Amino acid sequence: MTDTDATLSDALARIATAPDADALRAIEREFVGKDGVVASMLGAIPTLPPAERKGAGQSANQLKQAVLAAIGERESALEGAALEDERKGEGFDASLPPPRIDRGSLHPVVQVTRELEDLFTSMGYLVLDGPEVELDHYNFEKLNIPADHPARDTQDTFYCDSPGSKATLLLRTHTSPVQVRAMERLEPPFRAVVPGKVFRQESTDASHEHTFHQMEGLVIDRNVSVGHLIGAMKTLLRGIFKKDIEVRLRPGYFPFVEPGFELDARCPFCTDGCSVCKKTTWIELLPCGLVHPNVLKAGGLDPEEWGGFAFGLGLSRLVMLRYGIDDVRHLLGGDLRFLEQF
Amino acid sequence: MFVSYRWLARHVDLEGITPEQLGNDLTLSTCEVEGIEPFAPHLSAVTVGHVLERAPHPDADKLGVCKVDIGDGEPLQIVCGAPNVGPGQRVAVATIGTVLPGDVKIKKGKLRGVASNGMICSVRELDLGDEHDGIWVLPEPNGEPLAVGQPVGEALGMGDWVIEIDNKSLTHRPDLWGHRGIAREVAAIYERKLKPLDLSLPNLGGTPAFPVKVDDAACSRYLGLGIDGVQNGQSPDWMRQLLLAVGQRPIDLFVDLSNFVMLDLGQPNHAFDRTALDGGGIAVRKAKAGETMTTLDGIERDLETSDLLITSGDEPVALAGIMGGEESKVQGGTSKLLLECAAFDATTVRRTSSRLALRTDSSARFEKSLDPTLPEKAAAHFARLLSEIQPGVSFPMILSDEGSWTDPATAIHVRGDVVRRDLGVTLADDAIAAILDRLELHTTPKDGGYEVAIPSARATKDLTMERDLVEEVGRIHRYGSVPEAPLMGAVLPPAFDRRRAVVRALEDRLSGAARFHQVMGYSFQSDDLLAAVNGDKGDFVTARNPVAPEMAKIRREVLPSVLGLLESARRQRSEVMIFEVGKGYRPEEAGEDGLPREVHQLVVAIARAKVSGENGAFNEGAFFRMRAVIDDVVRAAGVTVPCWSPHENQLHAALHPVKQVMGQWTADGVPAGVMGDLDPEVRARLGLVGELDSDVAVAVLDIDALLGAPEAPRTYTPLPKFPSVKVDVACVAPDDLPASTLAQAITQAGKGSVADIELFDVFRGESLGEGKKSLAYHVVLQSANKTLTDKDAAKFLSRLERTLESTGAALRS
Ligand SMILES: [Zn+2]
Repeated sequence: MTDTDATLSDALARIATAPDADALRAIEREFVGKDGVVASMLGAIPTLPPAERKGAGQSANQLKQAVLAAIGERESALEGAALEDERKGEGFDASLPPPRIDRGSLHPVVQVTRELEDLFTSMGYLVLDGPEVELDHYNFEKLNIPADHPARDTQDTFYCDSPGSKATLLLRTHTSPVQVRAMERLEPPFRAVVPGKVFRQESTDASHEHTFHQMEGLVIDRNVSVGHLIGAMKTLLRGIFKKDIEVRLRPGYFPFVEPGFELDARCPFCTDGCSVCKKTTWIELLPCGLVHPNVLKAGGLDPEEWGGFAFGLGLSRLVMLRYGIDDVRHLLGGDLRFLEQF
Repeated sequence: MFVSYRWLARHVDLEGITPEQLGNDLTLSTCEVEGIEPFAPHLSAVTVGHVLERAPHPDADKLGVCKVDIGDGEPLQIVCGAPNVGPGQRVAVATIGTVLPGDVKIKKGKLRGVASNGMICSVRELDLGDEHDGIWVLPEPNGEPLAVGQPVGEALGMGDWVIEIDNKSLTHRPDLWGHRGIAREVAAIYERKLKPLDLSLPNLGGTPAFPVKVDDAACSRYLGLGIDGVQNGQSPDWMRQLLLAVGQRPIDLFVDLSNFVMLDLGQPNHAFDRTALDGGGIAVRKAKAGETMTTLDGIERDLETSDLLITSGDEPVALAGIMGGEESKVQGGTSKLLLECAAFDATTVRRTSSRLALRTDSSARFEKSLDPTLPEKAAAHFARLLSEIQPGVSFPMILSDEGSWTDPATAIHVRGDVVRRDLGVTLADDAIAAILDRLELHTTPKDGGYEVAIPSARATKDLTMERDLVEEVGRIHRYGSVPEAPLMGAVLPPAFDRRRAVVRALEDRLSGAARFHQVMGYSFQSDDLLAAVNGDKGDFVTARNPVAPEMAKIRREVLPSVLGLLESARRQRSEVMIFEVGKGYRPEEAGEDGLPREVHQLVVAIARAKVSGENGAFNEGAFFRMRAVIDDVVRAAGVTVPCWSPHENQLHAALHPVKQVMGQWTADGVPAGVMGDLDPEVRARLGLVGELDSDVAVAVLDIDALLGAPEAPRTYTPLPKFPSVKVDVACVAPDDLPASTLAQAITQAGKGSVADIELFDVFRGESLGEGKKSLAYHVVLQSANKTLTDKDAAKFLSRLERTLESTGAALRS
């Protein structure tokens, strides 16, 4: 056995038992590095008799090749073993809780409002806005509800004072004032919806709140009939509940529409009566009707030429129906435990 | 309003129509039926018993031991304390286990040692009246004793259904506030005939009319009917039962009859004791300033000159159309009455009744504008009913009938084409006419349409124009028979609405990537809250009738609403991130139509638990998080990010006087908004102290300003073609040198090649020397037309070294 053979078998043995890549690098440096065994073998060649030089060179090179090859092999073996190890997945517990990622939320009223706005804009409705602090004139007078009209009693209005203002101000009791504002501003025919905050002076409980949200709808055109109103309301309900809903119109009294209706929808939550529909299978969903000729006149339109229909959707109520919310006060209460659910 | 099914049947044949069906049809054609309940269901639970004997109780003088046959084998032994119980009577027996009104369950018991197996009921125990000084001796409606063992309700034919109608749905229908009016609707719905009712006055005597003087137009008609020879007492059972069914407790004949006429025809009326009235007669006038009167309920009322009074000898005897006076209460002993049936102005009655918060059955009817022809019919009805009950009564006087009323009956022209157009139906003209005729709105062909006669009962307010008749046809034809039709006309997408788009983008970014929760607040802000947060001190719009006195202010700004939520939110979460998009009102600035100007604001708040000691890294406080969030959401909304700079004045009294900035797009331009830490005092007042001690930053953005700012649509910049060079730079600077000065110096030294600057460390320490800080940046150099090298980086550093000299900073070696 030559010295070279001995060196080689020593190297191979150490390579075979090297525990990791660092150990392999050390062995590599020791044998084939700048000052390594192979380098010193090559460095000793000039001192050898010329006849041995070639052989010595060859065996140094062979040693180098053999060491590098063995290191390469050991390296891939170690890598393979490491991957195999990783595959074992030791200590993994899938049931540990993931880290908490708090997320934000859009207010549920905003979510439903947007959904309806998108539905209506796809049908050519404009989305309008109107003042929350409103003139009595628009909230009542122009809607065919003159002073001392008995309907005013049922409205529980917050009348307001504003320094420097002589007009009779109030917090709008419905989004309907925007009907006349829209007629005054827009060229007929047009279609519009008005989402917004409305106010009623009443004591609050789980189903009553002095501040809530509505969406008014108004279509002004020639030859608009109750049939068109029914068609539009069915389309609306299909959009809200994602299925066809049977509806019925029954007389309802609202001074700014004539005829006026209450629209009931077949309860989407049951077939034979539940707590939502109070066992009747009908849900009173929205007041609507043909725009009263006096309101058209107040909006500057000729009732002989133009007609239309209007409806008022209770957004807060719809949100409560949609999510089964049992207390209307949660909507504006700002409780994070409520908001985080949406 | 309650309607009795049996009462209705006095006016229209209900054969074959169940109460449920009636309720349903009324709902679909006329008004909202809220419920249908069987009347006095407990009357089916008590049994007709026959009292066989009454023996004295061995140990109690006042008690009797009765044997009562209830047709069920052995008679029951019942101990009873009523003085009027005696053998031979038919009585209402509640046996063991029966539940009576008020959830009273009858149990087996012993009274003074004697077993009692049930109860003989009084009228009051069955909720049929107030009498309780004895048991109810059952009447004999057919002249013979009732069969023993039957349920009492059945034996007396008292089975009835009570239909509850939503008053709101009758607001516009003065004619429906009595059973006859509802019956008229029922007749029209089922095409039946209304039963005849004699409403002509009986023969009146020739004694001069009771003097009546009407001095005010608010009383358009005052009719007084003199009645003699009456005797008060109990009203007949049939009347008592019908009154009970609609929730009216029987009192005595005079009161019951008055109520019955009102509930039957809808005309309130009032019976005065004529002997108690001043001989000078009745005068109707407005109240005098400072005048008072005590109403029947015993309350003294301060009157105003707009209140209408019925007076006698110039003393008020009734608040017109609302309530009688205590003085004029009819005493049981009188035999002479004056029956008042009048027409009062709806608005006058409504104003007085709402001012005094005194709503009565009478005022509810008058404020609907009653038919002025009704008083005469009601007087006749009263007189005829009374004559039936007490055939001896007489009407000796000429009828008093004063006032300047006119018959409102009118005519409206209706066109078939208009009815068809508005309803969207194909009804023929004669079918339209037939429906109107059914409603007693009689039609005569005229001018290609019909002239429709509107009777006085419908003409006061309800039916005034053609469209009103469209409704009459529609509701009887039924809206369910109207075919659904699609809207015609071009559907064009509405014009782009930038406000809505910007608001949506802000909301989306905040609730999405930035992880904030959206809140929606009340427009009212309490005085306490405003004081706590140093709210805007300007003028407020105020509610005259707030839900609570301290909640009158309508907000000027959204910020206090959001701040008001922080304390309770922080109790639940260590980090609270919320925002609201809402409106505030500024009385001092005129908006649309002279309304207070609406400001549209976005308010964002971050409140998180303070970390004890060092509060994380240099820019991890809530203030800097807010800066990052706001710039990001503004950019996301397509709006140019404003430049945020410190301000020498406190920007908002709720903000920290130093840790605050104002956003602007140009140096003297409109403010985009303000942001900053919360003033420590405000924070403390909000309760964010102690275990809730919080690092709080808020931002207020003016959405109108955002809409007026330069838009910043997303743009594309080509990706660099050459690799960039990264250089780390550490600058030592005087403590008060703003970081922005260093950033400017770096940009300047880069001569256009600085692609990114990131501050990654701020350090203060002894090694730097007193009053010094070190700021370390990663700087990326990038050229558009060549690969930058280490040599370029070295040039950059030496330029930076020179640039920094003028700022008092230096590169850290
Ligand atoms: Zn249901």
